Amino acid sequence: MDFSIRAANVDDCKDIARMIMELAEYEKVSEHVKVTQKDLEQDGFSKNPFFHGIIAELPEPQRTKDGHTKFGYALYFFSYSSWCGRAVYMEDLYVMPEFRGKGVGKALMSKVAQLGMAAGCNQLNFTVLHWSKSSLDFYLSQGCTDVTTNLGYHCMRCEGDALKRLAQP
Amino acid sequence: MDFTVRAATKEDCKDIWRMITELAVYEKMADQVKISPEDLERDGFGQNPLFECLVVEVPEEQKSTDGFIVVGYALYFYTYSTWTGVCVHLEDLYVMPHFRGNGIGKSLLSKVAQIAKQKQCARLQLCALEWNTPSRDFYAYKGAQDLTATEGWHMLRFDGHTLDSLAQEDAKGS
Repeated sequence: MDFSIRAANVDDCKDIARMIMELAEYEKVSEHVKVTQKDLEQDGFSKNPFFHGIIAELPEPQRTKDGHTKFGYALYFFSYSSWCGRAVYMEDLYVMPEFRGKGVGKALMSKVAQLGMAAGCNQLNFTVLHWSKSSLDFYLSQGCTDVTTNLGYHCMRCEGDALKRLAQP
Repeated sequence: MDFTVRAATKEDCKDIWRMITELAVYEKMADQVKISPEDLERDGFGQNPLFECLVVEVPEEQKSTDGFIVVGYALYFYTYSTWTGVCVHLEDLYVMPHFRGNGIGKSLLSKVAQIAKQKQCARLQLCALEWNTPSRDFYAYKGAQDLTATEGWHMLRFDGHTLDSLAQEDAKGS
């Protein structure tokens, strides 16, 4: 299958928003997605972006039955480990179902690793739902470690009313 | 106990580094600390800082037995959720053992939450070690959900030679 991977630009936000929704539907949480195409344009493509993206794209003649040429993406940002310094966090990795099993996910993730290392990062971190066996198996087969299972790290979150209460002096 | 919470400056990097190593000892991973005070200065106090930091100071007369007046810190940075937008990740929260039980940890956490609200962040996220019951209980008491326990989220990581190998995979790209 012919495809290319390139840096995302502001014109990709419509397709990124579409694929974010598709990924959320797969994770059974589409009602939680509040970010819009406009938010992505503002947050990812202004002077101090909060994230970066890469897109997997088909040549025009091979566009999908719905007319899409952009069929996969990875969204990442730079984080910081107080032990190792600069790190990269992969927020999303997604390939449309009909294009899976052809090495695109691997290629996207590899590109994030390359970009992270070029920026001086020592770690690539991300989270995955433990019950999503095919995703978990894929990532483990690529050589990563499960630091939740191995080291006992639990991901915790404060939001909504709890965050409001916490912020009260 | 008298204390103040303030934004860290680059002059605090030596103290922040000292406390990072103390926290790593507490987490039984002292050999994992690879950065130096100079790295912190470059990464946190240059033109495009990769993190922000708050420190806690006590008055001179309440300094620690080793003579330190900077006795706690919180190190955090901004992240992005494709569901909710900009978030804050609290990387470290630490108070020197002698100064615990005086509301310093609560105060640091609250200050980070205020900053998150000011920046219109929908979430404050962090990681805590499973065996570290005092910390997990503290965060749960302050309203944090344990997403690993309740939803099954696991943190995965590539580093060292696994990161090198991944980066060298054949990748089509422009």
